[in-house]
Amino acid sequence: MMADSGPEEIAVIGNTDLTSAELENNIKNTMVEIEKWTSLLRKMEISVGEAEKRTGKNTVNMQEIYTVYLIETRPVDAVTEGIIPAPDSLWRRYSEFELLRNYLLVTYPFVVVAPLPEKRAEIVWHKLSADNMDPDFVERRRVGLENFLLRLASHPVLCNDKIFYIFLTEEKGWKEMVYETGFQAKADSRLKAMNAAFRVKNPDKRFTELKHYSDELQTVVSQLLRVRARVADRLYGVYKVHGNYGRVFSEWSAIEKEMGDGLQSAGHHMDAYAASVDDILEEEEHYADQLKEYLFYTEALRAVCRKHELTQFELEMAAQDLASKKQQKEELVTGTVRTFSLKGMTSKLFGQETAEQREAKLQVLEQQIEEGEEAVKEKNTESDEFVKTAWLDIEHFKDQKDRDLKEALISYAIMQISRCKKGIQMWTNAKECFNKM
Amino acid sequence: MSACTPKSLASSGQKPIQEMCHPLGAEEAVLTPSPDVRNITSSIGEKDQILPNGTPVETSSPSSSSSLLNRLQLDDDLDGETRDLFVTVDDPKKHVSTMETYITYRVVTKTTRVEFDLPEYTVRRRYQDFDWLRTKLEDSQPTHLIPPLPEKFVMKGVVDRFSEEFVETRRKALDKFLKRVADHPVLSFNEHLNSFLSAKDLNKRQGLALLSKMGESVKYVTGGYKLRGRPVEFSAMGDYLDMFTQKLGTIDRIAQRIIKEQSEYLAELKEYGPVYTTWAASEAELQGPLEGVASCMANCSIALDELTQDMSGDFLPVLREYVLYIESMKAVLKKRDNVQAEYEAKLEAAALRKEERPTAKVPTDVEKCQDRVECFNADLKSDWDQWQNNKTQDFRQLLTGMADHNIQYYEKCLAAWESVIPVLQDKQPQETETEED
Repeated sequence: MMADSGPEEIAVIGNTDLTSAELENNIKNTMVEIEKWTSLLRKMEISVGEAEKRTGKNTVNMQEIYTVYLIETRPVDAVTEGIIPAPDSLWRRYSEFELLRNYLLVTYPFVVVAPLPEKRAEIVWHKLSADNMDPDFVERRRVGLENFLLRLASHPVLCNDKIFYIFLTEEKGWKEMVYETGFQAKADSRLKAMNAAFRVKNPDKRFTELKHYSDELQTVVSQLLRVRARVADRLYGVYKVHGNYGRVFSEWSAIEKEMGDGLQSAGHHMDAYAASVDDILEEEEHYADQLKEYLFYTEALRAVCRKHELTQFELEMAAQDLASKKQQKEELVTGTVRTFSLKGMTSKLFGQETAEQREAKLQVLEQQIEEGEEAVKEKNTESDEFVKTAWLDIEHFKDQKDRDLKEALISYAIMQISRCKKGIQMWTNAKECFNKM
Repeated sequence: MSACTPKSLASSGQKPIQEMCHPLGAEEAVLTPSPDVRNITSSIGEKDQILPNGTPVETSSPSSSSSLLNRLQLDDDLDGETRDLFVTVDDPKKHVSTMETYITYRVVTKTTRVEFDLPEYTVRRRYQDFDWLRTKLEDSQPTHLIPPLPEKFVMKGVVDRFSEEFVETRRKALDKFLKRVADHPVLSFNEHLNSFLSAKDLNKRQGLALLSKMGESVKYVTGGYKLRGRPVEFSAMGDYLDMFTQKLGTIDRIAQRIIKEQSEYLAELKEYGPVYTTWAASEAELQGPLEGVASCMANCSIALDELTQDMSGDFLPVLREYVLYIESMKAVLKKRDNVQAEYEAKLEAAALRKEERPTAKVPTDVEKCQDRVECFNADLKSDWDQWQNNKTQDFRQLLTGMADHNIQYYEKCLAAWESVIPVLQDKQPQETETEED
């Protein structure tokens, strides 16, 4: 589990035995108190226990089969007191997880939101089926979804979100609640902004570097996953061909007197050797999944950088707008036209304005300038706030990434060590049989 | 340094490939030490270090010391009889003359037999000479199984006759041939073998040999008599040989397939490691671990390359040579059949004559034939038994050799991965330890 607990100096809401009504009350209290650093995991255990198939009608009223996942929650204290009550549970399907994530992306644009596991199996090596119904794939997805929830629950900001909490605790009505927040409209405008082309004059350099880094990381990890899949494919071939020795040794032993027994048992070891690769490669998929998570994280990183660019751009636009208004005012006051403007031309052509007209225009401009200055101040604060909170989260993400990937590499090395030891064992067994021939 | 392209053998005087000395040889000082006895690090041939007096140095790997034992056991008689004739074929050298270029091999003999004038001989022979010897043996000992020689003809364009790999494979086969002859209770006392081992110059005898090429064996081959039926024990031998040939063919195909799969796996592995290096370039904290993994994979690639070379060089040629051995045995069975057929025909003719003239004695040539049949059967039976013993030994050695190569490969990979764990965990043992990295 890759859970992470926040800083220690936190007031945790003390829980004894909770009824669901008390839980509900506590949520409201939590929202009010805005404890930014409380990790949800201090209060409850979360797990995604099982997966099941359901049939139902989809949006175009056609029969479909889909998988649902069981989310189980249990207050932490209940266990520590020696009593282990049954966990509360509900079923969710993948699309609901997607909805939750989209909601969080829109609501907390300064957070690097953990990614979901793959919807479909991409980058497979030949034995793994790309079928979403394949039990191995479903199992790995279950693990991925649990990991996703744990990441959210241990995030200092996200763990306090009400929608997230309800997702975990109330099966019915959750979807409606999400839509009621009106996030969909924000989601649409966010999408538009993400895809828009604009140029920022003065982005924070750290974000520019981060964007480059996330591009590089995406490229290299994609490549790594592809090559790894090919290596796995080849390794499978090598092991399986040895199984042919099993068969031929068995046939050969039938025509031998002395050598028969040794050959026969050696053949069995060759069969075992060939069979061992299945488990080995299944375990390696776990490593691939760990890499994939960070591959998908790069998208979230880029989203935060993009948001920064957007807020910075809006600030720059507001500042630009203000500057142009100020310039207009100056022109009006001094009567000079510094830069070409249609106004200047028309006034030259059609004569000067009256003093009253000028005064009226001046007043409008001053009003606009005042509003503009407010806007710039607001955007500035917004931008600063964003940079501050986002960068905090990014530093947190970087530490998490270094820790997790180091652990992933260590467990990969351990897998290889185990594979080598198994190989030595099997060939030593075979050799003993050969010696007895 | 993998030898993907076979190296050409240097001309006389440079870089001899030294064969391991006999047990007897190890007790005495080396006869004619080559000027540059040094560690051979070629990936083809023996890898163990060899001391000047011929005993190999035990490497730290336990499996290599046991494979050492296997090689020493090559010449051990199962009955534990003391041997008095030891032969070795080694030290290939290229000779260039205006007419032709060819390879000679050094043949060293050590013996206490009275049939030899001296206790030791060292002569140089070329393939032609071995071929001559075999022909003489076949002619003079037609009732015995003569071990096979490696293939005489090689396609000029396909195989480089002077590459180190080809020459070494041939040398091993010639060494095996001579050892088998020297171990044979009858063949080892043959006068032609004596000449081959001791005479300075074979040419004169070769000239004589050409004249007397129409040897006795011709009688046995072109009898022109039809056999009624093979006795059960001999037809059982024939059946066994047929089935055995089939199994060997299958094993050869499997071994080739494994080598192919391993080469393809190696190709992917060589691409896999460098991706980690690329990744390391954009990381800070993770740079060390990622580069550690990359170098580990490079080591595993080298180990895999060595495994593939070993299997190509040691395993396949020996397997293929056994097919030739089987062909020789089948030929001897056929000869026996002809002798029996001749006897049966003559016997029938004599029986017919007896009917006409009841008082006539059994003609002496019928008696001679009967003797010949009985001799042949006896010789063949004892040769068959020895052949079976040798076969068991040879295959035990071959298969344990294969197991050893694989064990060594996994041990090298294991060492590489185990040494990278502290790098991944960031424990820095490199500053204090200097032994291995």
